[in-house]
Amino acid sequence: MTDIAVAEPLVPVPVGPVPGDPAPTRRPGLLHALRHGRGLAGLVLVGAVVLLGVLGPLLAPYGATEQVTGANLVGPSTGHWLGTDELNRDILSRTLYGIRADLVVVFAAVPVGAALGVLLGLVTSWWSVTDVVAQRAFDLLLAFPALILGILLTAFFGPGLLTVGIVIVALEIPVFGRLVRTAVRTVREMPFVEASQVVGAGPLWVLRKHVLPNSLEPLTVQLAVSMSVAVFIEGAMSFLGLGVRPPNPSLGSLIKDGVRLLHDAPFFAVGPLAVVVALVLGLLLISQSLSEARRA
Amino acid sequence: MAAALIATSTLVAAAACSSAVDELKTSSGERQEGGTLRVGALNDIIPARIFTNSSDSINLLIGSVYDSLIDYPLDELEPQPSLATSWELSEDGTRLSLQLRDDVTFHSGRPFTSKDVEFSIKTWADPVWTVQLQRTAAAITGFDTSDEHAITLTFAHPLSNVFDLLDMLPIIDAESIDQLREGKAFVGTGPFTFDSWSPGAKISFKRNDDYWRGKPALDGIDVSVIPDPQAQVSQLRAHQLDLILGASYRDFESLGKEDRFHVNQWNGAEGQVYVGTNVTNPALSDVRVRRAIAYALDRRRVVDEVFRGAAIPISLPWPDYSPAYDEEADATYEFDLDQAKALVDEAKADGVAIPKLPLTYPSENPIYGAIAQIVQADLAKVGIEVELDPQEQASVIQQLIGAKFPALWILSHGYAHYTPSTLAVSAYPFNADHNASLYVDPEYKEAAEGVWQQKPGAVDPADYAALNEQLLEGSFLLEIAITLPQDASSTEVHDVGQTKRGEPLFYDSYLTR
Repeated sequence: MTDIAVAEPLVPVPVGPVPGDPAPTRRPGLLHALRHGRGLAGLVLVGAVVLLGVLGPLLAPYGATEQVTGANLVGPSTGHWLGTDELNRDILSRTLYGIRADLVVVFAAVPVGAALGVLLGLVTSWWSVTDVVAQRAFDLLLAFPALILGILLTAFFGPGLLTVGIVIVALEIPVFGRLVRTAVRTVREMPFVEASQVVGAGPLWVLRKHVLPNSLEPLTVQLAVSMSVAVFIEGAMSFLGLGVRPPNPSLGSLIKDGVRLLHDAPFFAVGPLAVVVALVLGLLLISQSLSEARRA
Repeated sequence: MAAALIATSTLVAAAACSSAVDELKTSSGERQEGGTLRVGALNDIIPARIFTNSSDSINLLIGSVYDSLIDYPLDELEPQPSLATSWELSEDGTRLSLQLRDDVTFHSGRPFTSKDVEFSIKTWADPVWTVQLQRTAAAITGFDTSDEHAITLTFAHPLSNVFDLLDMLPIIDAESIDQLREGKAFVGTGPFTFDSWSPGAKISFKRNDDYWRGKPALDGIDVSVIPDPQAQVSQLRAHQLDLILGASYRDFESLGKEDRFHVNQWNGAEGQVYVGTNVTNPALSDVRVRRAIAYALDRRRVVDEVFRGAAIPISLPWPDYSPAYDEEADATYEFDLDQAKALVDEAKADGVAIPKLPLTYPSENPIYGAIAQIVQADLAKVGIEVELDPQEQASVIQQLIGAKFPALWILSHGYAHYTPSTLAVSAYPFNADHNASLYVDPEYKEAAEGVWQQKPGAVDPADYAALNEQLLEGSFLLEIAITLPQDASSTEVHDVGQTKRGEPLFYDSYLTR
């Protein structure tokens, strides 16, 4: 080890603003983005759908699977605002109940997938060996298009909402894992991380105290995007008969039935489609506004 | 004295064949040659099940590529000549002599002979092919093929349904049977030759220029396998298909209202939709529970709302022209939820536990899904919880053949429009020896054998009454409705026919594009 000759005494570098520095401008936060413009519009749309789903049993004039005698594929009327299906069930009621299935997928499966992905990404990307293994595993999962993965997993677990949830979790793990990995590789090169390591901080402490907080913004944006994609995945899987099992409704299965009867009952799919549009549009608006706020 | 059922000369036979086919026509116009008919089918062919009469594409293949010895017209059980020109049944009903056409060749060019009849019957008798009429084929014990153009069959006992067998049995080419097993070649004597098969996508047939009845008008047939009925309807509307086999009855009703399309309804080729029960399931082993389910089936609603009126509610499988039809017995199970609930309560009081029962049905066809949900809702009202279990058609058929359903299932069967014994000893759901319900009952077996082991056309009506009594007594298979098969085509398609076997017939068809 080489001794360093100190020619001059060390002088502490001043920390923080010094007299004469311009006043720091604070960029708008993510919460601010949700209170204005597109963010607010998205929040209102998603909030409305969530409200409809939560209050569904109270608002629905009929049960989700209740078959009303004599009401076979009737059009919209005062008794059935969105009409009835070919099994005499009120479409409005089924739509309200169907929202709940999508909400479970959006607000349970996506966060679970995100949490697992973040955890895996954080832990594995710090060390090169685990990083390589995890990345190849993520590659494997990402190689499957969502529906192919859905069909594959349905073969193991059978069709149903649980399978839809598992598919979404499996799809979100590599997405969030990759995102966190990028953050880890960026943040760990930062001087303050090196400094914390110099004073003895361990990897887990660094990940928890430095890396994760600095990754939260992109993760929040991705969360909103993933939620909108999850609505599509549920819809597509139910459309293919891999999702929610009959007679229980989901937005995807209702759209499937509506498309099947499009020629005889064009009104059928209008309600479920409007809800899906509202939910996806709302989530996309939220993700856009968060993304813009982050870039600002 | 031998009883000659029908004896005709070759020329008369040929005329009778044409006449029989003419009867199957649904429209007529100036016949034009050429063009390829584009057909949409729901299911793909499965070579190992090619003789099971279990899917639309299999039926189309058999009807187009193969001929049978005799043909039943749609509206009666009176054998008409086909590859057999005449026949004579012995007085005791245990020997049948058939004269065969001498001008028929297989698509390979090889002449058709009596040896091919023997080979075809023996193939059907081989359990490996899981043919529904296997028992009937196996009951043919002797083959006199000393004359290339005549054969005498000897039976183990009189077979009341022997002509059903001869109607359904396609004459198979022995030389290409291995290729048939692999789906590489289907060689028959029919109006179209097998050209190619892309699994899961397309089956193509070409015109057989040397067909013994004369050259068909169509150049060929392209069958697209489209598992989604709605996609079939859309493609018909978009002129991408000429004829569809797998739409829902609501779609057929809708298409029938448009001038551009023609909907055919094939009375005489009926099927039956039913709820099957696995009687070895502890809950279903009690006949009161099975009867409760029978009472809880809202047959009229299914007929009106699902089949759009193209069906008839039933308790027994027979259509009203069947010799086994009994109007009073057929009305045994009227929709009666109170009666059903009383039976369920009685069974539960006696300690019968009824857990949630899976109800299996094919997922591709929305008709089954709709019926399953109606059944589920009604059974819930009488205290029987049902979990819907939609599965792929191929898987459902496998469970039907192997008797592997865990509890309940919804499916269609055929054969009730044939000689009644064919249903009782042959159909997978009814076969008294081994059926999909695993229902074993000596009295039922005796009744089934009783109507089977008699001379054709000479079965005692009392024996049919005994069979009906056993079917109702056991209630292992709960009939919902007789369904009338339909298909739809553009008005450019003419003279499509249908066999009693449910096979579309395109020999006389032509296009006016």
